[in-house]
Amino acid sequence: MKFQKKRAQSKANIPTASMSDIVFILLLFFMVTTTLREQEVFVKYSLPEAKAVEKVENKRLISYLWVGNDKRIQLNDAIVKLEEVQSIMYGKRQLLPNVIVSMRVDKNVDMGMVTDIQQELRKAYCLRINYSASVKI
Amino acid sequence: MPILNRKPRTEPEIPTASMSDISFLLLLFFLVTTTIDIDTGIGLTLPEYIPPEEQKTVEISKERMAALLINENGDVLLDGAVIAIPQIKNNLKPRIESKIELPSNKKLIVSVKTDRKTFYNKYIQTLDQVKLSYFEVRDEYSLAKYGKKYNELNVDDQSVVRDKVPIIISIAEPEKIGT
Repeated sequence: MKFQKKRAQSKANIPTASMSDIVFILLLFFMVTTTLREQEVFVKYSLPEAKAVEKVENKRLISYLWVGNDKRIQLNDAIVKLEEVQSIMYGKRQLLPNVIVSMRVDKNVDMGMVTDIQQELRKAYCLRINYSASVKI
Repeated sequence: MPILNRKPRTEPEIPTASMSDISFLLLLFFLVTTTIDIDTGIGLTLPEYIPPEEQKTVEISKERMAALLINENGDVLLDGAVIAIPQIKNNLKPRIESKIELPSNKKLIVSVKTDRKTFYNKYIQTLDQVKLSYFEVRDEYSLAKYGKKYNELNVDDQSVVRDKVPIIISIAEPEKIGT
């Protein structure tokens, strides 16, 4: 008896021509969805640590406010004076009524500074704030 | 004219086998380099600004208040007695728990007051403890009632728990003395 294996007539090929298309679509997806909105930070700061931190749910609502270790204030993309915070944030609030101010304050700044900023924010009716803090493990 | 001997034509091809490798590398590069940094922090809602001449003082019974004071040296005082920051949580928790079943105008108010010279770090540490004690009370309450933690509840149940354990933190303005 003959048990001869039948040889496959043609080479088995996986069509790889569309592979690059698939990968390109994935690539495009990632390129489009990642937002590289890097803001240049002019002040030096180190955040305090906290355990009871929450995630800020909506990134589009956030305005950033930095206070550096030299007490300079940066609001979004420019260094501002304390007196200017109110008018800028008031304008901001008219575009985005429920704006959240993420306060990135250096941990060695004194509370007088923070309170003054908060007073300005209150005058501008920006009442939702978030003290940015890194997660303590 | 002599007829030239033509070679049989071959179709010109661009080698596409390595194309997927190239795009995979690009994909990997983007996957690795994108950092989706989620902003984490302690959320707070400031009170509305009221000009000093229109401000009213409301008497609040001592029993309802937990007054935290952080002085310029970084000492934390809870109702006038010095307390270590990590112990604030255990001190506040029973006080919040005892007021769960009370109506909303009798819940605990935590007042955090600082000096103008207090370091921001101390303030955040204290606020963190206050928030932590509220979160733990919420978690324990929802575990007892629904068998789940607060974050795993649906929206309706969450609002029930939130009504029972509201976070009331009053940020008192520091006194002007010492500036």
